[in-house]
Amino acid sequence: MFQVSKEFAPPFSLISPFFKIGALFYLVSMLLLPFFGADSTYYDITVAGWAHLFLLGFVMMIIFGTMAQLVPVVLEVGHFSVDFYYLIWPLLATGTALMGIGFVFSPSFLPYGGLMVLVSMLIFLADTILTLRKVERVSLTVATIGATNGFLLLGIVVGFAMSLTIGAGVGVDIQKWLGVHVVLVLGGFVTLTIVGMSMVLLPMFGLSHGFDEKPVNMAFRIMCAGVALYFVAAVLDSESLRFLSLLSIFAGLGLYLWQIWLIYRTRARKESDIWFKSMVVGYGSLAFALILAPIALIGRLESVSLASAWFLVMGFFTFLINGHLFKIIPFLVWFERYSPLVGKEKVPMLADMIPQKPGDFQFWFSAAGVMVAGMGLLFGSDIFFKAGAAFMALGAVFMFYCVIWMMNFGRR
Amino acid sequence: MAEKITKEQVFEAIRKVVDPEVGFNLVEMGLIYDAIIDDDNNIKVVMTLSTRGCPLHQLLTQWVKDAVKEIPGAGDVEVEIVWEPEWNISMAEEHVKKALGAI
Repeated sequence: MFQVSKEFAPPFSLISPFFKIGALFYLVSMLLLPFFGADSTYYDITVAGWAHLFLLGFVMMIIFGTMAQLVPVVLEVGHFSVDFYYLIWPLLATGTALMGIGFVFSPSFLPYGGLMVLVSMLIFLADTILTLRKVERVSLTVATIGATNGFLLLGIVVGFAMSLTIGAGVGVDIQKWLGVHVVLVLGGFVTLTIVGMSMVLLPMFGLSHGFDEKPVNMAFRIMCAGVALYFVAAVLDSESLRFLSLLSIFAGLGLYLWQIWLIYRTRARKESDIWFKSMVVGYGSLAFALILAPIALIGRLESVSLASAWFLVMGFFTFLINGHLFKIIPFLVWFERYSPLVGKEKVPMLADMIPQKPGDFQFWFSAAGVMVAGMGLLFGSDIFFKAGAAFMALGAVFMFYCVIWMMNFGRR
Repeated sequence: MAEKITKEQVFEAIRKVVDPEVGFNLVEMGLIYDAIIDDDNNIKVVMTLSTRGCPLHQLLTQWVKDAVKEIPGAGDVEVEIVWEPEWNISMAEEHVKKALGAI
């Protein structure tokens, strides 16, 4: 029988730091965003610093916290050792902060920060791989978790080698390996993990049933092949293989969007809450990023490429993560504080545990920010980019307030 | 000898168990498929969940058990989770479908 139990569920005290610190890094990185301009490039060292603050401190931190909760749900077994997670967040938070300082102020901090991040991720990988070994039935989801963790391992090793190059003078060709690092970590781990998690969470929250899962199964295979091919292309220095691999990744994401449409069409729950609106912006951003990506690739247009990356990261990743925080945090708080009181006293519903107005402000400011700043990048308008970034910063203030408000709900 | 417990009594007792995510009880959601009661008032509840990955799986099972045990004269209570037939919104009561926007 399918068992997702209280004994598998990690304690709230273990998961809550991931969400609090993740929200803090989100706030800090959004407050720094207006200091950049529409003429920023991938190779700007301060952009790299900001990207690590955002992607490690916010995206990875929240993903790891969510995985602590979701791995048992998806794999149907308990963690090998959930206590490993007590080590992950302090190492990841400190390492990220050191990397941020290293990129912006003093490169000598980079290897130290990079090492701490590397260790935190190796701990995460160790728990996930040892947990995977307990699984008896190897489904596509299980295989995908295995593949994404392999990509993460390769990606962080490449990243660490680059941090040694910048901070300690080790000879790695950064121009060549930066793309590999980005594709392995963002494509191979973050995107595929979001794809996998969304296949559990979207039908659960939308009460969708009876939809065909062929598109996502194909998407997983094509995207995994595409990411692996990108690595091979870098090793062989083959431009045509690199082109093919990127097209495969885009095609995989297109199939995934088709899958989301099928889930959307079969949903029984049609309220338009913050979660749902965030999904609309998130998937709309992914669709727009996918329209821009081939144009940028074929035309070799840097502004279009930057705008595509913006809509992928700031639209898709951010809205998927923030939208789900409005579901996951109330659930965790309810599970911790109210589930023991069921039948003894009146307990709140999860919808009562969301700050509606600040949540709406968060959504509208952030949504406007993503679109306006994205257009700024696309058309090279500094004013538009900074205006959008300011909207996003304001949205992040409300987001941080919402996270703390939800975390403290019913605290005695 | 205790009076024989009816299926209706069991379903009525389970109406106290509310899914905190959707805000409706399990009976009106259509998640309770059957209640089998033997001559000694031992009760087996056959139910499903709205999703296989439901993190409340064990808690919901326990709440159903606790609610049914409160029926005067109830014997042993067992809860079986089944996945066939798979739950869908058409199994819910009309007011639930309406509130969720399914009709």
